[in-house]
Amino acid sequence: MGGRAKNLAVSLLLPLATLLLWFVLSAGGLVPGYLLPSPGKVLVAGQQYIFGATGEGPYAGRFAGDLAASLARVLLGFSLAAVLGIPLGLCAGRLALVNRLVAHAVGGLRAVPGICWLPLAMIWFGIGVRTTVFLVAMAAFFPIYQNALTGAQLVAPIWFQAGAMLGISRLKGIFAILLPAAMPNIITGLRLGMGISWAYLVLGELTGVPDGLGAVIMDARMLGQTDIILVGIILIAIIGRICDRLLVGALRLCFKSARRQL
Amino acid sequence: MTSSERAVATTENGMSRAILEISGLHHRFVHNGDSRLVLHDLSLAVRRGELVCLIGRSGCGKSTLLKIVAGFLTPAAGECRLDGHLISRPGPDRCVVFQEDALFPWLTVRENIGFGLTGRQWPRVKLDREVERFLDLVGLGEYGEHLPRTLSGGMKQRVALARVLIREPQILLMDEPFGALDAQAREEMQELLLRLVRQRQQTILFVTHDVQEAVVIADRVLLLDPGSGAIREEMQVGLDRPRDRNDVRFHACCARLHQWLRV
Repeated sequence: MGGRAKNLAVSLLLPLATLLLWFVLSAGGLVPGYLLPSPGKVLVAGQQYIFGATGEGPYAGRFAGDLAASLARVLLGFSLAAVLGIPLGLCAGRLALVNRLVAHAVGGLRAVPGICWLPLAMIWFGIGVRTTVFLVAMAAFFPIYQNALTGAQLVAPIWFQAGAMLGISRLKGIFAILLPAAMPNIITGLRLGMGISWAYLVLGELTGVPDGLGAVIMDARMLGQTDIILVGIILIAIIGRICDRLLVGALRLCFKSARRQL
Repeated sequence: MTSSERAVATTENGMSRAILEISGLHHRFVHNGDSRLVLHDLSLAVRRGELVCLIGRSGCGKSTLLKIVAGFLTPAAGECRLDGHLISRPGPDRCVVFQEDALFPWLTVRENIGFGLTGRQWPRVKLDREVERFLDLVGLGEYGEHLPRTLSGGMKQRVALARVLIREPQILLMDEPFGALDAQAREEMQELLLRLVRQRQQTILFVTHDVQEAVVIADRVLLLDPGSGAIREEMQVGLDRPRDRNDVRFHACCARLHQWLRV
């Protein structure tokens, strides 16, 4: 067996084992179907949810619409967090004054669990897109900010000295030295932020919005459709993973500092 | 006439030709409330085209002095002038080759060498040609597209040398640049350095603790004494170039520098 095939086999080991355990538990009757439907049943439900024509079943054919709604919310909230978190983190990492200025504010806000913002967000923004986007942005901001800050602090002083002696101004140095040098940390922050975005998306959508993957899960719970809940969970796992790969791919495509240091 | 008197005399006589003039420099380090004097009323001058080696035991302040000249550190008192202009911050007229790897790891060898030219509004073709020329000068013609992490220590220092020479600094500051290399690579780099800088009359202030290295490359060697924080000895290396490391006079020079360091 080649090294590639072997690696693939190893990486598939755990998912396959989980699937097998699921089969045994549900098909063997160890766990009743309303708690854990069989893989076959979930597959059928998923197939109908994704490819079915509208009206075939309660959730048939809703996937495309739910995906679009959820993706839009995640991307909006995540982008907001990135646009605020990266510059602020880099500033705080390089300028002691900025760091002192925001340390307590950011540290205090971070100590508040993201879920605490839900009631406030519902009062401020009502039920809908804005509440979800707010929650996602709030949650994704901190890892993005913190990693950008750490990245900026860890830039070797010798690189700034080298830049200064080679005639690079401070302003140019931000793009020529600070950003590329902090890139590995910035990427880590963005990936963590992206992961958290999906978590808070579901939280935001649990509040009664009509569409979205989180809304489907919550809706299915009330109707006792455990299979659809599982379909939703699996889909979010897959889409979350794809988003992470796409994020890394896009960064590598756009920045040579990401390409060469990852 | 003692050697320190001679040092002052040289400074005064050579004033008109001196490109770097350091006078009355004081510097102290404060560490955990402890204040330690590193430089005390230090003066020296480097003439245009001269290669001056600064030797001294570790911790004597050689690197501190170099950092002040580079503009990375501000002295407590005294002043440094380059070509008559007071040094207050880093600038491309004083480029440093560091001991540690200071290349940008996200840039290729070619991009690292061209980094200092990015501010110039040169046409692409001219820029590429200039970078190519320096790539060849340091013997890395085939490594233009490599990333620094794939290079050996010696090759990295070649890149570091090329990226500062391309800026044509008035003075090159070298802080034990070959200290981390093995003996073989160190000798190769010394030869390369001499080959590159002698023909362009490059002024160099070179810090080292390697006595042999100082005698191989220097026109003049200065001893920085950690006790007094000033230049205590000075020696003109009057040997013909290229210098023969097995020559008796070469050994005599080395012996003298060793003697300095022992006292």
